[in-house]
Amino acid sequence: MSANLSPPTASETILELQHVTKRYGGLPAVDDVSFAVQRGEVLGVIGPNGAGKSTMVSLIGGSAAPTSGKVLFQGQAINTLPPHRRAHLGIGRTFQLTQPFTGLDIRENVMVGAFFGRRGLSRSQALHVADEVLARVGLAHKATLKGDQLTVADRKRLEVARALAMDPRILLLDEVMAGLTPAEVTDAIELIRSINRDGVTVLVVEHIVRAIASVSDRVLVLHHGRKIAEDTPDTVLSDPKVIEAYLGERYAKQKQAEKDPAQPASEWMEGLA
Amino acid sequence: MPRETSSTASNSPVAGSGPASGDATTTRAGRGWLWSLLGGLVILGGIAAIPTLGSDTLTSNWTIITMYIVLAQSWNFIGGFTGYSAFGNVTFFGIGAYAVAVSFLSNPKVISPYDPQRPQQFFIGLLAGVVISAIFAFLIGLPTLRLKGHYFAIATLGTSVAVEEIVTQRDVAGSGGLASPPFPPLSLHIAFYYGFVALALVCLLLTTWLARSKFGYALVAIRENEQAAQTLGIATTWYKVGAYVLSAIPTAIAGGIYAYYSSGFEPATVFTSSISVTMVLVTFLGGSGTVLGPIIGAIIFEYASQQFALSSGQATSVFGYHFGSDTLLGVAIIIVAIALPQGLVRVVQEFTRRPVAGGAGASGNSRANQFVEGVRRVRKFIAANGI
Amino acid sequence: MQPIVDWLLLGSFYAAVALGFSLVWGIMNIINLAHGVFIITGAYIAYQVATNLHLSPFLALFFSMGMLFALGWIIQYGIINRVIRGPLLVTFLLTFGLELLLTDTLQNLFTSDNRFINSTIEGAGINLGSAHISLVRFISAAIAIVLTAALAAFLSRTRLGNAILATGMDRDAARLMGIDIRQIYALTFAISAALAGAAGALLGQMQAFYPTRGELFTLRSFAIVVLGGLGTPWAVVAGGMVFAFIETFLPVVLPRVGVGYENAVAFAVFVIVLLVRPTGLFGKAFYSQ
Repeated sequence: MSANLSPPTASETILELQHVTKRYGGLPAVDDVSFAVQRGEVLGVIGPNGAGKSTMVSLIGGSAAPTSGKVLFQGQAINTLPPHRRAHLGIGRTFQLTQPFTGLDIRENVMVGAFFGRRGLSRSQALHVADEVLARVGLAHKATLKGDQLTVADRKRLEVARALAMDPRILLLDEVMAGLTPAEVTDAIELIRSINRDGVTVLVVEHIVRAIASVSDRVLVLHHGRKIAEDTPDTVLSDPKVIEAYLGERYAKQKQAEKDPAQPASEWMEGLA
Repeated sequence: MPRETSSTASNSPVAGSGPASGDATTTRAGRGWLWSLLGGLVILGGIAAIPTLGSDTLTSNWTIITMYIVLAQSWNFIGGFTGYSAFGNVTFFGIGAYAVAVSFLSNPKVISPYDPQRPQQFFIGLLAGVVISAIFAFLIGLPTLRLKGHYFAIATLGTSVAVEEIVTQRDVAGSGGLASPPFPPLSLHIAFYYGFVALALVCLLLTTWLARSKFGYALVAIRENEQAAQTLGIATTWYKVGAYVLSAIPTAIAGGIYAYYSSGFEPATVFTSSISVTMVLVTFLGGSGTVLGPIIGAIIFEYASQQFALSSGQATSVFGYHFGSDTLLGVAIIIVAIALPQGLVRVVQEFTRRPVAGGAGASGNSRANQFVEGVRRVRKFIAANGI
Repeated sequence: MQPIVDWLLLGSFYAAVALGFSLVWGIMNIINLAHGVFIITGAYIAYQVATNLHLSPFLALFFSMGMLFALGWIIQYGIINRVIRGPLLVTFLLTFGLELLLTDTLQNLFTSDNRFINSTIEGAGINLGSAHISLVRFISAAIAIVLTAALAAFLSRTRLGNAILATGMDRDAARLMGIDIRQIYALTFAISAALAGAAGALLGQMQAFYPTRGELFTLRSFAIVVLGGLGTPWAVVAGGMVFAFIETFLPVVLPRVGVGYENAVAFAVFVIVLLVRPTGLFGKAFYSQ
């Protein structure tokens, strides 16, 4: 058990969503969601497909604007800021569908993050940062490959590396573990932990419940765009509402009848991974 | 849009090999730029020496070729580096031409060849053309660069058609836009030639700088993936508009020099979409987004079209220039689009690309094998565009 | 009254102008810059047939459609299919090349003089209150609407039409279902060219034409499709109506802009629509939905 399972009491809010709603043609993708992220924590966001997870990342990252509500970063409202301004404030993000610069090699891909995400780096300094970050995520030996020559796992790593090169204060990871083998998931979890140890706040959006439970300090559950739970991983995962959202009502009732409802549900969640 | 990567990724031989060996020709971070710059300097040096051969025909032919080098290089900034397919860059060419014409017309005194204000009037026109084009590119670019792909292409195409129409209707520089300003005769006709050569040199240096600078990286990142570029902190709008303005300026200067050189023109000649599309074509032919591509493409296409026009006996048109007949242009476009969409420079790179150590296929190291391998790669490269 | 009649007739005609353009764009994601010159080619064919064979121009329309169908098929099968997976810019460039080539060919064959197809029913018409309805224009509008309806029915009712829609929705899935993509694309482009041929035959009876006139119709087609959205064939009619409305009533509101600025108006319309409402005024996301 790591010490940061119980966040420090004198914690400081780095990111806050206040009653944020995003509609696409009348249908809410994110519906009146409020929560706060504390500096230094790992907040996991889970939810079934179509729960609004990626939309929420876009609302924070700036590629989509909320229909109503406020997004605050370090106390400042950033609703109307374009993505590059948010990047300069220290918000780094990855994409669920990886978005490499296909014509550039891997080193340059990462270098762009350092070059534009930080201020005042020279070309060679930016390349230096890129090399460091590549070594850290384990892509150094593929530095000269092109952006479209990578395996799925490496593409996800590249996404993380690029965001990391910006030296972000908060890192939004959008399904970086989807499509990975169990061994690769373990690597990814280790990477997230090490990033967090270096003082970067992390918001992990994931479909794989097991992975998120093991890496997050707190977990937030979205369902149909609404927040249905927010608590420590164990509490959230044994919440009947959450089980129902994931597996449907019938299964949840059946499970409750068979087993002690208080039992941490991570076991059945395993099956989903 | 994710591309299919499985094939390239699975047989990728580099996975276990050592750290970056840095293939200079394909990596932007490598030394390729230096060779490209040297190559460009050699080519431009050769062009600069042509007038010493003493053939007026040759010199006037190469004046037009060099002009197209400049136009293609400028298009490369927005189309090649930034990946925004501008199909209306002739707008800036025409604005530059009309600025110079109007400048001469606005001061009738300069009709006298002895008037000391003569050269000033030309430079005032050039400067006005640059300023107006830059502002126009900024104002048009700001909304239209929000459009993607087809939409941007047709919006820019529409811009040139609309500006041509307005110049014609408003009788700019003459009835129906027919401009025949009192250009004083120049004793140094060769000045136009070196004007274009100097402009091409400036564009070459700019391109080389772009290939290495922060600005250039921003443009390439936008071309490769605009969404990711934004997320990594690139103020995409401003970079795009910047690239558009950058491509407008040399184009306007070329238009201004051309105006004086041609000594008379009408909207249909300096706003024709054929010029826009020639910029695109020759850049593609050579290799868009590369340093040498626009230069090589412009030389090959314009030289060929001049030879073609000479042999079919339609060398000149009314105003003493020839852009190559539209038929030739059309055929060239079809051939290039089918056979060479990546451009000559990239095909050569693909051909000479050294197979990575321990690569797939037990190809020997003999030259013959390397040649066959190269041909195979290039054929695959080209066939990738088919259905 | 008269402006309203003019507007409705022009709007219907514009539907015929842009119908093929919209089809090729929606199904193959190709902007066919040669569309305008296809229309002009259709006008020349109808002109030749009507003049030399002494046929009614409305019968000559079928010759235009047939010949352009063949031309379209050859162009798509022989040329465009080879580059369709390449960058967007390449297909765009390619159709521009075709436009130049065809325009120049027309110029060589027919010179750049103005032509006009003299109709046997020239001048005939009916008076409806204060408005005069020219018979030529009325029949042209009716043909345009019939073509739209026929295309809509073909796409939704026939196997071949369904195959075209399926290919437009998901090329790879269609391929897996055993559809020959090359043939479908060639057919789609051929239909589009035939529709342009029909529009040309109608155009020739209403306006003077010359080889370089095509560019204006490409630009108009683009504006019309953007206005209507890439929805169904009927969206093209809607776009045509809106565009004709602007062209008809703009001179009334702004007399100085109305005449001589056709290109600038078409351009301004589509840029404004693209920026304000990128999916078109009535459009849906895709051609078949």
